[in-house]
Amino acid sequence: MLDSVNLVIYGAAVSAISFFGVLFMTPAAIRSLTAKRKVVPDAHKPEKPQVPRPAGPVIMISIAAAEIVLFFLTMNIAVFAILLTTAIAFLVGYIDDSRMMPGWFKPVALLAAAIPLVVLDIYSVGEVHGESLNLIFGRAHIPLLYIPLIFVIIPITGNTINSIDVLNGVASGFLIIATIPLLASIAIFGSREVFLAALPILFATIAFYRYHKFPSRIFPGDSGTLLLGAMYGAVAIAGSSEIIGVIALLPAVMNSFLFLASVKRIVEHREVKARPTILTDDFKLAASNDSTAPATLVRLIVVDRPLGEREIGYQIFKLATFTALLAFASIAIQYIVVLR
Amino acid sequence: MTLTILALFVTGIWVMILAAAAFLVIFVAPLETYLYLFGSHGGRLTISAVQSAIAILIVIVLALGLNRLKVIYLHKKLQQ
Repeated sequence: MLDSVNLVIYGAAVSAISFFGVLFMTPAAIRSLTAKRKVVPDAHKPEKPQVPRPAGPVIMISIAAAEIVLFFLTMNIAVFAILLTTAIAFLVGYIDDSRMMPGWFKPVALLAAAIPLVVLDIYSVGEVHGESLNLIFGRAHIPLLYIPLIFVIIPITGNTINSIDVLNGVASGFLIIATIPLLASIAIFGSREVFLAALPILFATIAFYRYHKFPSRIFPGDSGTLLLGAMYGAVAIAGSSEIIGVIALLPAVMNSFLFLASVKRIVEHREVKARPTILTDDFKLAASNDSTAPATLVRLIVVDRPLGEREIGYQIFKLATFTALLAFASIAIQYIVVLR
Repeated sequence: MTLTILALFVTGIWVMILAAAAFLVIFVAPLETYLYLFGSHGGRLTISAVQSAIAILIVIVLALGLNRLKVIYLHKKLQQ
């Protein structure tokens, strides 16, 4: 196990690599994508400005650099598994960014991203995640459930972050808030190496938020959101913090669930004809009165009165902060029940 | 007001998750011990399969409960 001095040094190194990597490479990516006309319209603004997309490659390079350095410093197999899972999720997203894929593609292809977590755990005899599920009140050793559960968690977390990327800055801002209790949980219940491996999610996303916040200068694309979501799931699994991770992610999970429960099949948002919200003349979003329109988190937020894009983002961040507090309460419960 | 109701909605889900987790830890995880106490001996694989089936059932119940909450909340709100 790492000693405290190395924990601080390695932590500072991976945080700095991921943060400054995104911070310094994103302006170049904005210029390059704009020059290549890889842009999409920002639908909720007057005159629909063209915004470059995707930022996924920049985020991936920065996170991969941090994880590779960490792997060679620690030679920890869990770090390598997290890196592979993230890279596969990025590739899935990049394919979806490059060509229009059907709705089933992302959840099905993301199953492949879970393979490194399972295979490297078998290879290393339980060094990646073990066979028991951390259930706050104790651990449940259910091997037949846990392995399939990994194949469920990665597609869910990847698609959940992807589906909340609906307004400027929401996916990145939301992920920053959700990652804080996850990091706390991994620090207490997981290993130091996995805690270090999780730091790049927070620091890369903080740097990216600078460019993604309202009004966005670049969009993450499917490659950006899927890699961040899958990495979040991977560190939650490797860090014995699966339930805490789900609780911190509740508004996004709820958003995906509401959408799926409404349309009753796996489809891309663009394929749904009845829109959950409508854009008013003063560029605010209002809830659609169409009974066939899917329920989403944004539709619930604007159900009382129309709101501007920036204001909806703040409402989602407030809700995310509330669920982060619930996640911290869950950590406290587990600490009292199990560790004391 | 909407945010307060959404926060209550999320709190409801959180309580449901904690209740499911507690049920799994108290009743499902030690299934092998309970079977032993009642004089029954199941194979490791059989017990794990039964535990998995119960856990999946709980998740389905959670999803149905969440769906019911959604239907009540959304329809009430959209009809206003």
